[in-house]
Amino acid sequence: MSSHAATGPIDHHHDHTTSTGIPNKKLLWWAFLASDCMFFGALISTHMVYRLNPPPGNAVPTQVFNIELTSFSTFILLMSSLLMALAVNAIQRGNVKSTRTMLLGTMFFGCIFLGGQVYEFEHFVHAQKMTLSNSIFGSTFYTLTGTHGTHVAIGVLLLGMMYVRTFKPANGGGLFMNFAHLLAICVTFGVAFIWFVPGLIEVVYGLPIGDLLRRAAIPLAVGAAGLVSLFWLGRSRGAVEFGEKNAVDVEAIGLYWHFVDIVWIIIFTAVYLLEYL
Amino acid sequence: MSAPTAAGHHEPSKFHFYIQVAMILSVVTGIEVVLVYLPLPKWFVVTSLLTLSAGKFMAVIFYFMHLRWDKVFCTILFFIGLVLAGGTMWAFLHLFAADAGKPLTAAALEMARLAVA
Repeated sequence: MSSHAATGPIDHHHDHTTSTGIPNKKLLWWAFLASDCMFFGALISTHMVYRLNPPPGNAVPTQVFNIELTSFSTFILLMSSLLMALAVNAIQRGNVKSTRTMLLGTMFFGCIFLGGQVYEFEHFVHAQKMTLSNSIFGSTFYTLTGTHGTHVAIGVLLLGMMYVRTFKPANGGGLFMNFAHLLAICVTFGVAFIWFVPGLIEVVYGLPIGDLLRRAAIPLAVGAAGLVSLFWLGRSRGAVEFGEKNAVDVEAIGLYWHFVDIVWIIIFTAVYLLEYL
Repeated sequence: MSAPTAAGHHEPSKFHFYIQVAMILSVVTGIEVVLVYLPLPKWFVVTSLLTLSAGKFMAVIFYFMHLRWDKVFCTILFFIGLVLAGGTMWAFLHLFAADAGKPLTAAALEMARLAVA
């Protein structure tokens, strides 16, 4: 854990109390992301090897993909990266309220991306008949994009934990309220990316909204209750412990979030766009 | 809510700068999508897509991830992983681009089995 002098300005990029001059948390995340690069490098190259040498009976990607939806998802993920950068910028200036708003926005955009992926996978399996095991293309595609989606979901959870942490009272306690807050976040965003966003995409593609409400009435009601709880628990509760000194914590989570964005930048080009040539 | 710890000592806000970077990234993404539909030579489109993706990648890591303002050690650490990942991809693609590395079809596999037998 990095430490800072109790008084005086905080240098958010350098920590003179560590031997490297870099906050230890940040160094840990950079080391982890470097290793994750190799993980995704192996997955992307496996997918590309099989695309360059397709076995007989492989799925035809251009007949399966929906490039409009994927382009929209890419845009959403880029905008979530912007909100994450603004969250870090806000906490570096000691603005906790703005940090909370930006963190919520980042989570919301992350859920839209995940919802798009849930819709895409469901559509590929049921309409296009491409499963994990009936073609090499399906195996490598689902493994790669599913692993990326799992990273995004973990990122949303980490952001949720950071968001809840911003409410920790300055005088201690509040553990139960924070657990309840985290639960409300998990329920709301879980319902959002599993039912609400995929349902909305189906509505855009012609599903009557009444059918969506009938099909997913219970999850949507639970999600709405979670959303109300989220706003109720998110009201101001007095002085909080969180502040500018925690900027390195928000920045560390931000590094992870931006990383899932840069991995998607590569996947979008290598897996989707190059198929259309 | 906590107040700023040392008023007047904050580094300048990068709010507008981040907005500008995000807008540029969005426009580049739009250009990438349009490029694949244009009747251009394949080599040109592939080169453009790879260049634009690399540009977006660098913009995110150097600006959004603050590498530009952090100690150079962070850049070196991340690029070690990146170079290893890129090298793995390069090696895989070249290994399997060779004729001997191509997956056998069912018929060719059967012939190979018979030849060994």
